[in-house]
Amino acid sequence: MTTMAPAVRFTAVHKRFGAVEAVAGVDLEIARGETLALLGRNGAGKSTTISLLLGLDQPDGGRVELFGADPARAVRAGQVGAMLQDGHPIPRVTVRELVAFVAATYPHPMATGEALALAGIEELAARRVDRLSGGQAQRLRFALAVAGNPWLIVLDEPTAALDVEARRAFWHSMRAYAARGNTVLFSTHYLEEADENADRILVLDRGRTVADGSGEQIKRAVGGTLVSFDLAGRGTEGLRSLPGVTGVEVRGDRALLRTGDSDATVVALAAAGRVRRLEVTPARLEDAFLSLTAPLAAEDRDRTGQCTADVTGNATANTTANTTANVIARGAVR
Amino acid sequence: MNRRLTPVLRYARLEVRRTLRDAGYVITSVAVPLAMYLLFTNLGAGDDAADKADYARYAMIGMAAYGALGAALGIGTGVAEDKGRGWLRQLRVTPLTPLQVVAGRALTASVVVLPALVTVLGAGAAVNGVRLAAWQWVAVAGLLWVGTVPFTLLGLGNGYALSAQATGVVSMASMMGLSVIGGLWIPPQVFPRWLAAVSRWTPTRRFGDLGWSVLDHRGPGLGTVVVLGGWLLVFAGYAVVAYRRGARTA
Repeated sequence: MTTMAPAVRFTAVHKRFGAVEAVAGVDLEIARGETLALLGRNGAGKSTTISLLLGLDQPDGGRVELFGADPARAVRAGQVGAMLQDGHPIPRVTVRELVAFVAATYPHPMATGEALALAGIEELAARRVDRLSGGQAQRLRFALAVAGNPWLIVLDEPTAALDVEARRAFWHSMRAYAARGNTVLFSTHYLEEADENADRILVLDRGRTVADGSGEQIKRAVGGTLVSFDLAGRGTEGLRSLPGVTGVEVRGDRALLRTGDSDATVVALAAAGRVRRLEVTPARLEDAFLSLTAPLAAEDRDRTGQCTADVTGNATANTTANTTANVIARGAVR
Repeated sequence: MNRRLTPVLRYARLEVRRTLRDAGYVITSVAVPLAMYLLFTNLGAGDDAADKADYARYAMIGMAAYGALGAALGIGTGVAEDKGRGWLRQLRVTPLTPLQVVAGRALTASVVVLPALVTVLGAGAAVNGVRLAAWQWVAVAGLLWVGTVPFTLLGLGNGYALSAQATGVVSMASMMGLSVIGGLWIPPQVFPRWLAAVSRWTPTRRFGDLGWSVLDHRGPGLGTVVVLGGWLLVFAGYAVVAYRRGARTA
């Protein structure tokens, strides 16, 4: 029965564009009321997945259902609202006029003022759409997604191009809408956003689901702990076979060991006399994400540690602000 | 009100507001035809009062038709812009169907051609002293209004088939070219014979004839109805094909 059907169900969904398999067999179920983050790099298949979900594209194989029905039917019935990446509102109409119009296309819309309040743009109601700043336009697009009071809202990279303050305001609005019992799916390539704002994270890589669970679960699944120390000029031979170790990376003069049993690994390192500036840190979501979606396949990565170290190093540099807190929380062993 | 119709009306209302606030629309479809009408009929129109009155009546229809033509084709530019900015795609994730979107646009066209028509006809009566029987005013306005339908379809076809920039260029070229050859600016009686022959087959000539025929105290002839009906079918076919290609992928 459709009343009990999940909000979203993907069954072995495939979509190909020429030689590129954009979505390569995704199975996915989102319960009603759940907030799910679709996390992946550019080109991982997030936008294609969203297009398929909204019925804007048809899958080559498999089945997509929203509330137990064809996506087009759910959209027609007003059960879905969306904020697309390139859905720029029309000029020369006011914010209120546009939101009221979109709301009226739905069977049970919320009051226009309520949609504006939820998006935090009440004071812009009389302003013309073409005179909004980038951040204001983004919030208008959120208002358009929720104006019809749909059960499910889909947000494709909703915070791209927003500054920190606008981003915080945006997630506040999103959580308020989710808290009403609605289902939310958003895509992002910011890990912190996924971790902070979603009940569940689905990591996509090259059109495939590579992880699915809470932020905690994903961190745990990918290999609990990192043990790092200075190589002090010595090589990495033998490290891979130490007890508990599942992966070895080199960043500059430091070795990073991913381990499932940090105690055993540290004892073995101590026995070998390799403890200079030794640190034990819990794996961060960034580490988990990078190890899940690194451009090289997992088996290649272990063989070419130096190459991975570059990739990881660059990515880490980009998230320096965020890692500071983690660094402070580290338990250092000397 | 009908549940399927209401969203179309609301969409048309939104689009009409947006169009009336567009300086480009006001200039191209209202101000320029009006200015051209007043200039052509009052500068160098000769001294003969009868000739002048005759030209004032003739050009009133031609320029009203010219303005309405611009407004109808302009609908396509809006569609192409919305396609480019992803707005048509955004509309596809609302309960509005693509067909309702097209219907709303067509309805918008039927409203925004009116200022173009009324302005020039009004200038004819108020400034140039054109005197017609009441039924003639009603018939001229009504027939020209209905006669914009083929051009709205051409505009919609352009909008779905082409990019915003290409639609702008094609619309402007069609507007100018069809207006000249169709005799909306200059009476086809002064055309060379070959051009006069071509002119008879253009949609704009027949569009103008809807109004001119009323000045002669008769309705549009069978030839006008048949030729304009033929263009209506051609442009409708074009719009349907363009829409099927454009709206699905928008």
